Amino acid sequence: MQGIHGGGMSLWDFYARNSGEVLGLLGQHLSLVVTSTAIAVVVGVPGGVLLTRRPAWRGPILGLANVFQTIPSLALFGFLIPLPFIGGIGATTAIVALVVYALLPIVRNTYTGIAGVDPAVREAGRGMGMTDWQLLTQVELPLGLGVILAGVRVATVVSVGTATIAAAIGAGGLGVYIFRGVAVVDDTLILAGALPAALMALAADALFGLAERRFAWRGK
Amino acid sequence: MTRPLEVQGLGYELPGKEKRETGNGRFLVRDVSFTVGAGETLVLLGRSGSGKTTTLKLINRLLEPTAGEVRIAGARARDLPATRLRRRIGYVIQEVGLFPHFTVARNVGLVPRLEGWEPPRIAARVRELLAIVGLDPDTFLLRHPHQLSGGQRQRVGVARALAADPPLLLLDEPFGALDPITRVELQREFQALQQRLGQAMVFVTHDVREGLMLATRIGLMHLGKLVFLGTAEEFRASEHPECRAFMAAA
Amino acid sequence: MSPHPPSPSPFGRRGAQRVPRCLALLALLLTGCAPRDRIVVGSKNFTESDLLGEIVAQQIERRTGLPVARRFHLGGTFVCHQAITAGQIDLYVEYTGTAYTAVLKHAPVADRDSVARVVASDYAQRFGLVWGKPFGFNNTFAITVRRRDATRYRLTRISDLARVAPRWKAGFGYEFLERADGFRGLAALYGLRFASPPLAMDLGLTYRALAQGKVDVIAGNSTDGQIQALDLVVLEDDRHYFPPYEAAPVIRQAMLARHEGLAAALDQLAGRILDAEMRRLNALADVEHRDIATVARDWLHSTLP
Repeated sequence: MQGIHGGGMSLWDFYARNSGEVLGLLGQHLSLVVTSTAIAVVVGVPGGVLLTRRPAWRGPILGLANVFQTIPSLALFGFLIPLPFIGGIGATTAIVALVVYALLPIVRNTYTGIAGVDPAVREAGRGMGMTDWQLLTQVELPLGLGVILAGVRVATVVSVGTATIAAAIGAGGLGVYIFRGVAVVDDTLILAGALPAALMALAADALFGLAERRFAWRGK
Repeated sequence: MTRPLEVQGLGYELPGKEKRETGNGRFLVRDVSFTVGAGETLVLLGRSGSGKTTTLKLINRLLEPTAGEVRIAGARARDLPATRLRRRIGYVIQEVGLFPHFTVARNVGLVPRLEGWEPPRIAARVRELLAIVGLDPDTFLLRHPHQLSGGQRQRVGVARALAADPPLLLLDEPFGALDPITRVELQREFQALQQRLGQAMVFVTHDVREGLMLATRIGLMHLGKLVFLGTAEEFRASEHPECRAFMAAA
Repeated sequence: MSPHPPSPSPFGRRGAQRVPRCLALLALLLTGCAPRDRIVVGSKNFTESDLLGEIVAQQIERRTGLPVARRFHLGGTFVCHQAITAGQIDLYVEYTGTAYTAVLKHAPVADRDSVARVVASDYAQRFGLVWGKPFGFNNTFAITVRRRDATRYRLTRISDLARVAPRWKAGFGYEFLERADGFRGLAALYGLRFASPPLAMDLGLTYRALAQGKVDVIAGNSTDGQIQALDLVVLEDDRHYFPPYEAAPVIRQAMLARHEGLAAALDQLAGRILDAEMRRLNALADVEHRDIATVARDWLHSTLP
């Protein structure tokens, strides 16, 4: 079958010739992922903590986050574009969407991590006169950190993949190569975007896995 | 002279429409009154569901009383912020609840650290307490709870409760989760401890032998009410059906 | 057909029912293997292509009675080209200039006739594809800016753009960025030097980006319905960078040979849609959001009753 393959050059030639652009897109991609994950942590961890304090809210909030998760990414980007402030074409919309997707794993894991702390530990802490804040910061968060980090890990890895779609709405990132490649049926271009994205996801997974092992409390 | 603990007309009614099988309807504790002096141990004895643990929790406000009054060294418990109140009361529970990620030293020194003691003072106090509860400080200071046996853990739990030298100690079936041999060992040591230290103690148990052994006075609870309050001798001689039932099981 | 008397079945009573069932099953299986007696019409991933595809599909259905399977909004030029050369679709509407530069990879020229000639002969020789007669309009790339900018900076031609480019941001769809007759050649010929590389996004979003000020110049299509609706101005291609883009149906030779009435049906559409008419139809679909099948049907009924 006769295909229309652009260039026909190898992937390495492509990277060598376009190193500036590649680094630029890589940087954009990283920025999308890091920014959105950071926001999701700042919102999601306290959110998860709140759920442990207000059990009545757990069902509705986890349910809502669950629903967000099921929205197809391109559709979510499309919904957000017309909105003022957080919408429009470009990185802002992409980051909002990525935050939405990162929330469920982070909120849920924060809740599980803290709720999983031995109730006797909590009772002893309270009984000895620890304030709620002291209990949270000195006992619950340290003990739940492993599970929380696992949630952040999942969220980050997913973000790396979803961020490739952000190129459709002008947010840049490695998806630009992928979309360009798809438009002209050029495997080299597609790979030029997909390969670094896959590597980035693997690296994020490994890094957070390391952090989990290092910081998580492993008892008995 | 004010006594360390005065409890007057204490009651706890369950919120909402929940009914319990106690036969008392929604009252888990009703009209309970007693006092405990320095150096005295009040044993709260009773069946499961008699309200003894609830009463204990009403004293350090882990549960808020719906009726009655608690006074610690003359001050009304209600008037103090709950966390400040609890730091003046030692609390020992059956599951111990040591923080798994803290060393024994950090666990024992918890309340002193919350109260802002100087680190050298905390370190000295921790060593002192470990010795009191029969654990060699040099061996145990840096161990973690998962490296300890059940009996050792509860010793640490008691040390932790005593750390800030509180006037009152609350113990909720502290030896209930231990094997019989360790339990007897700890009961004996605890008896020795009672004599050495000057705390007022409220000790909850459903084991009548333990109660008779450790009590200055026994408070027998039944269906949320205090049906007997007196010395061990008086308890043995009492005609009250519940006392009889317990003595028969002893 | 006259009714036949029932013939005795060789398989007995119940067998008489089994046979038709077996045959039905067999027929079902065979339709998977045998060449289908139907035509598959494809289209690219933008409104005009869908519209033309629908018009062609309905025209074929009316005039030849041939069943038409639609596979619309497939992807860009290259996806459609791969699909038709692989036989997955039988027909789609292509533009002469696009075929000339992007598919056949010739350097762009402005002469309409030579482009048409080369495209017809090359496609026939290399791919076994036949070009139908053009619909009558030229849908070239429209380098578009906002009207107030056109007034303020006195922009009427693409050459004028070179003046403002260093302070402006461009936004393009992915195909325009990659194609030989796309951005790179345009920037080179007109000396356009933008401060930063163009913003890349889905083609459909570029109009919105322009209207909202996210970008200052885009490459739309000259027959797009949104140009007027959003108060935009198309700059004249004064140096004739872009080749002519005349839309015409491209069909597989084998399909044309097999069905007689097909060529005649397609010829009826020749020269029937001029620039203004195409723009009107696009506006109906894009701006007024009317259903494409309805727009096509209405147009066919009024033009070719």
